[in-house]
Amino acid sequence: MTMAHIEPVALNPTALPRDPSGPSAARKATVAAFIEAERRNAKRQVLINRALAAGFGVFVIAVWAIATMGGFVHALIIPTPMDTFWATGRVMSADYFWPNAWVTLQEIFWGFLIGALAGVILGIGVAMFGPVRATLYPYLVALQAPPKIVLAPIFITWFGFDMASKIAISVVMCFFPMFLNTLTGLSSVDPNAVKLMRSLTASRWQTFRYLLLPNALPIMMAGVKLCWTLAVLGVIVGEFVGASAGIGYLIYAMNFQLDIAGVFSLIILLSLFTLVIYNLIEAFEARIIFWSQL
Amino acid sequence: MTQSLIQGQNLSKVYGTATGPLVALDDVSFHIEEGEFISLVGPSGCGKSTLLSILGGLEAKTEGTLVVGGKHHDAPRADIGMMFQTSVLFPWRSIRENVRLPGLILGLDKRQQAQRSEELLDMVGLNGFGDRYPGELSGGMRQRVGLARLLAHDPRMLLMDEPFGALDEFTRETMNLELLRIWEKTRKTVIFVTHNIGEAVFLSDRVFVMTPRPGRLEGIVEIDLPRPRTTAMMRDPRYSELVFEIRRMLGVDH
Repeated sequence: MTMAHIEPVALNPTALPRDPSGPSAARKATVAAFIEAERRNAKRQVLINRALAAGFGVFVIAVWAIATMGGFVHALIIPTPMDTFWATGRVMSADYFWPNAWVTLQEIFWGFLIGALAGVILGIGVAMFGPVRATLYPYLVALQAPPKIVLAPIFITWFGFDMASKIAISVVMCFFPMFLNTLTGLSSVDPNAVKLMRSLTASRWQTFRYLLLPNALPIMMAGVKLCWTLAVLGVIVGEFVGASAGIGYLIYAMNFQLDIAGVFSLIILLSLFTLVIYNLIEAFEARIIFWSQL
Repeated sequence: MTQSLIQGQNLSKVYGTATGPLVALDDVSFHIEEGEFISLVGPSGCGKSTLLSILGGLEAKTEGTLVVGGKHHDAPRADIGMMFQTSVLFPWRSIRENVRLPGLILGLDKRQQAQRSEELLDMVGLNGFGDRYPGELSGGMRQRVGLARLLAHDPRMLLMDEPFGALDEFTRETMNLELLRIWEKTRKTVIFVTHNIGEAVFLSDRVFVMTPRPGRLEGIVEIDLPRPRTTAMMRDPRYSELVFEIRRMLGVDH
């Protein structure tokens, strides 16, 4: 069979003409103006967003003020914003405030530190060592099942009314998220990255040090933040259940004396403290896992 | 007769699954010479990635013998470098630090590695990007870094599992030319997994054609196109013949 003769087609691709001198001055000016306008728009959007957030805050305080000062809610139930403000000053300048705050601060510090460290260490142990996983993992998960607040009265009995019992409650509250996030972080790794390390004949320690640990940091840092708020919660709960000093103890006492404005001011101070440290942790997080923003 | 660099005899890989044994690789035999560029080509499930994993020492074979460089082979070796479909760069390490990773792990001389990593970045066209981070680079650039890292500890054999499969057509072609240029210079033994027949023909000395269920080596096609290869050869009738020969072996021509 012979091939049918096909007339060759002259391929004549034509590129579109381009001005060798580049874009004209007028066009450059248009482009510059466009970019400038986009930049202004983005800036304006940021301002609008901030105004929205601030506006909402003002709105909430206004509703609060109208509800309390307008006599819709009794001052014994919710104090006015001004009363709360003055109460904050009164509480902070009272001679009982700082010793109590210092007690709570220490309890939170130790509870957070011990809980987080235990979480990291056991998380690494369970993630990296099969026998440790087999032995401990079922119990660690089972321990998570009961709400840990039920342990508070027992811990008071065991460790007394002083700091030790609050630290113990704080530790059991904040341990688990740190443990679980460490374990999850170390386990959620790209299988190809593990293959790469194996192909390079990396040791277990090298794989941990150069791949698993840095890879786990973002999830671990999320655990640290959870751990922090739970450590505070644990200490305050412990102080509610049985204490002779601390911010939780003060809140309880003031509530009993119907000093609701004082209670509000303590809640606000405690929240501010928790938030400041939380933001510090976030700032630290942004530094050590800088690559997530790239 | 001198011994081949890699000799596989009756290699099989069977996985035990819930529904019974699954034969991923069935009685595959071959030999590969030092400095050869081999492609493994075939559809998904043909066992090409399994074979590569076995060659890399990452997976154990079920049956058969595998001899690499005169030794029985069943564990990763520092003289075999591997590259995967994703670049697997560590985002917390700068580009330079990523290229130095193999040297770090193998405990190679730091000063020499520092110099070598710069040379390699130069070679893959990433001069000046050493201080950047993977998150700042495009997919093609990341695979270039992967290529530089692959060569960092100067392995004798390069096992590449669809290394450019996730890249767009234009970038992939550039990377293929890059790889050939590097191969011409270093003459390492390359085993390259792909499902792209044209790519396999364009790059290789020999193409191992594999068919699925169970994974078998259907045949080996010698690619007698001259070297160095150029993109113009894709117009060569011989190129089309070879592509269609492989298509026929795979049974994809109807």
